[in-house]
Amino acid sequence: MIELINWVIKAIEYEVYEGVTIRDLIVVFLILLIALLIAKIIAMSLRRSLAEKMRKDQLEILVKFVYAVVMLIAIVTVTPILGLNLTGLLVAGGIAGIVIGFASQKVVSNLLSGLFLIAERPVKIGDQIVVGNIAGFVEDMNVMSTIVRTYDGLYVRIPNETLFTSNITNPVANAARRFEYTISIRYSDDAEKAIQIIKNVIEAHPFALKLPPPRVFVDSLGDSGVNIIARIWAPSSEWMDVKMDLLWKIKVELEKNGIQIPFPQRVVWFGKELEDPGKV
Amino acid sequence: MFGSYRLRDLSVEVRTLRIHVERDNGSFRYVRSLDDSKVEKVLFEDAEVYVNPVEPVNLPKKITNFLYISFRRPVLLAPGEAATFYLTFPIEIGVILAKEDVYEDIDIFSFVRPKYALYGEPKGGVIGRYWESDVFTRVPELDPLREGILELRATNLSNRWCEVSKAVFDVYDMKIYYNEHTVSSIAEMKVQSQRVADTSFINKPLFDGMRRAIELYTTRALPIFVTKFTMEWGV
Repeated sequence: MIELINWVIKAIEYEVYEGVTIRDLIVVFLILLIALLIAKIIAMSLRRSLAEKMRKDQLEILVKFVYAVVMLIAIVTVTPILGLNLTGLLVAGGIAGIVIGFASQKVVSNLLSGLFLIAERPVKIGDQIVVGNIAGFVEDMNVMSTIVRTYDGLYVRIPNETLFTSNITNPVANAARRFEYTISIRYSDDAEKAIQIIKNVIEAHPFALKLPPPRVFVDSLGDSGVNIIARIWAPSSEWMDVKMDLLWKIKVELEKNGIQIPFPQRVVWFGKELEDPGKV
Repeated sequence: MFGSYRLRDLSVEVRTLRIHVERDNGSFRYVRSLDDSKVEKVLFEDAEVYVNPVEPVNLPKKITNFLYISFRRPVLLAPGEAATFYLTFPIEIGVILAKEDVYEDIDIFSFVRPKYALYGEPKGGVIGRYWESDVFTRVPELDPLREGILELRATNLSNRWCEVSKAVFDVYDMKIYYNEHTVSSIAEMKVQSQRVADTSFINKPLFDGMRRAIELYTTRALPIFVTKFTMEWGV
């Protein structure tokens, strides 16, 4: 037993490098862990106490800022324990940056973009994204590149620099998203009845969200019919299925109630009235 | 209908629901029909089967673990007031196989139609199983195959009047109890302000002698992670 204790004491006093022992590493780990907990507690308290007094986006910025400050203090605290001189690091880092920057601009650019993407997290593995003319699922995110599987199953590697400097559309980043249909009915049909039928079909679908409420309204009086717009929210993970499912159900239900989708039509007026209109 | 059975003896006929198990050359064929839906599964071993209410977030498929109850009439709470009232929640019925404390749901169905809603904003909000409930001041009599009773112990911790018109719960660790006539759960809601409240479930039956349902959402092994949901988008 005593031998074991002696061995543990010897082990934690083991010098990893330049006077830094395993004990120092444990202390660093504990400090960072405590700082992380403190940062989380402060963030939670801020969210609760200021939820009514600040706008949500401003509150999020404040929370992130406070979180970062706490973690920065912790990092500054632990660097001397690790035997690191921050001033030296900054100078060395600056010089190294210049050298590396000139030598391998693209590589470093991709690397830094990858780090920023990891920090900012505009997308994560499994998300669907649209970048330029590439749309698909994010399969993997590396430091240098991001792998996308397109909807038709192709493997696409996007350098992180391209991803970072492009407009990224993430259709599933939020909990819910909206889609819309334009449904035309004949002028002779009752638009209010059609709206009610469409609302009933939407209401019956479990994933057509109750809140935010769907909107169904007459949008325009078209050339061939009355155009009704239906705007529906669905869970982001389900929106495509809901979109595919609902339109046909609406069409079937409208027709069941005698409301028809109009064909394009044109009224032709003759300059001179026909002698026998029945022979046209 | 709720309770435990041996698989080979499982046979339920209630309203439009039919559950039976057919023996076929040493295997078992589980068949369930309800209105237009039908499920068939083949099993090779007899086992204990529980038919009981489960957390109502599984149909038509699992996309969330939140239950969103909208009150048909809002409840006003005075500063510091604690009030207990009763809501309803939708019933989903699970058919759960058990073998040596390992449970597996083989079928979930419901007599009520599911509907979902967004609580909060699209960014940061959560999708929840939506349910509209009346507010009762005493325990209501309900159809246990369609609706359960949720006793809500609400406390207004703020120094202002608060109007509560909805409650959102994380169904992890939702405790459901049942007997022949009632399905129930107990929850608490600590209202911090008109915009913020904490909700969680309490592990107690509404009446003595009620049986605890086998739950599907109980993966939190560490007790320090209290399953509490903070409603940040209004109450």
